[in-house]
Amino acid sequence: MDFEYLIKLLFILLEGMGTSLQVFALTLIFSIPLGMIVAMGKMSKHLIINFPIKVYISIMRGTPLILQLIFIYFGPYYIFNVTYDRFTAAIIAFSINYAAYFAEIFRGGMESMPLGQYEAAAVLGYTKSQTFFRIILPQVVKRVIPASANEVITLIKDTALAQTIGVIELFSLAQKQSSFVFSVMPLFVAGVFYYILNLVVSGTFGYIEKKLNYYR
Amino acid sequence: MKKIISVFLSALVCAAVFAGCAKSNSGADESLKKVKDKGELVLGLDDSFPPMGYRNENNEIVGFDIDVAKEVCTRMGIELKLQPISWDAKEQELNSGNIDCIWNGMSINEERKKAMNLSEPYMKNRMVLVVLKDSGYASKDDLKDKSIGVQNGSSAQEALENSDFAKTVKEIISYDTNVKGFMDLEAKGIDALCVDEVVANNFIVQQNKNYLVLEDSAFADEEYAIGFRKNDQALRDEVQKILSEMKADGKLAEISTKWFGKDVTIVK
Repeated sequence: MDFEYLIKLLFILLEGMGTSLQVFALTLIFSIPLGMIVAMGKMSKHLIINFPIKVYISIMRGTPLILQLIFIYFGPYYIFNVTYDRFTAAIIAFSINYAAYFAEIFRGGMESMPLGQYEAAAVLGYTKSQTFFRIILPQVVKRVIPASANEVITLIKDTALAQTIGVIELFSLAQKQSSFVFSVMPLFVAGVFYYILNLVVSGTFGYIEKKLNYYR
Repeated sequence: MKKIISVFLSALVCAAVFAGCAKSNSGADESLKKVKDKGELVLGLDDSFPPMGYRNENNEIVGFDIDVAKEVCTRMGIELKLQPISWDAKEQELNSGNIDCIWNGMSINEERKKAMNLSEPYMKNRMVLVVLKDSGYASKDDLKDKSIGVQNGSSAQEALENSDFAKTVKEIISYDTNVKGFMDLEAKGIDALCVDEVVANNFIVQQNKNYLVLEDSAFADEEYAIGFRKNDQALRDEVQKILSEMKADGKLAEISTKWFGKDVTIVK
């Protein structure tokens, strides 16, 4: 394998990494707020709100992401006879899937807060929203960071699934180069790319955790 | 309030469904006109199939099929747009209108005949067995009770498993790509690899390695065709007509020579 090809390969994979990072970033931007809303919904006492959300979470967690991608992209055609952009479809599928996981993490974080804190806040004259935003939320954020880091790292690797619906991302380009040069070398190079990305992600989360550790 | 919302939502769904039906029942075959109005033909391919359609070291999609399709589009006065797809989802991509045709060294078989409107075959293909040159295997008979590799889900696998030869071998091992098969052959994990002849020839020429295509190993003759949507008769006929013109004026032979060293096309 000559050096000149290796340079070309790096540029091709960098291009693919751009797409992978777009999928990654957009998914986080949409799934984290959506996850918060879903978590609130699941904790709601009204059956009409929490039941559909339970069903949604159980479907998202109970079926393969690869199938959800196919369904989100091709489903609208079979139901409404409309087609749309495959990249958009990938973002929608990843976002609603990850929102379900984030929702459960956030819910766990919120339900882990002792009731006594709410009572104490009420005694001290805090309103409900003040209690939530000033007392509960900052502690919840700290508690959900490690579990969220897990999801975010998994998401980087899951972006490779976008190729199922024809999105040209890092891993698919590596596979195509692999069949061009008849060697698995491009796949290993792609593996290094993913590893470096995840080093950055886990490093960032480590830093955030440390910063939030101000009471210890 | 809840009732009003649910009535409104169901009305919306009904409207969308009916709108969909109305669109699909629009009668006459406007496939050719649609492509010409759009000014482009969207060609769906799994761009990892050298030499038919693949990405080269500059990340450009090239190949025999691509060159032919480009020429066809030039003669139709439209642009060619290449849309990489996942091979497993090719029928959905075609039916949902994301692509106008599948043109990617696709072998003709019964299921595809039913699911698509296929062109006339444009090229022949066979399955062959590849061995290491220094392995000492010279014919198919030497491979009795040996391990044979093949790509999972390929027509090579189908052909191999349906052949009498399969009953004489020890085991058939399948891989998700041919590359892994070739690597396992190199590592002597298998004794022979069953692949498309075009893939084998391309691989051997490109890698310049010590592989051998067994002379007597060719089996399961098959043909490549272009797949269109079941109802897109006009588009299919137009492409077919232009292919015949290209065969007649030598352009097809020229492209074939570039990729295979000779005219291997069988267009009439």
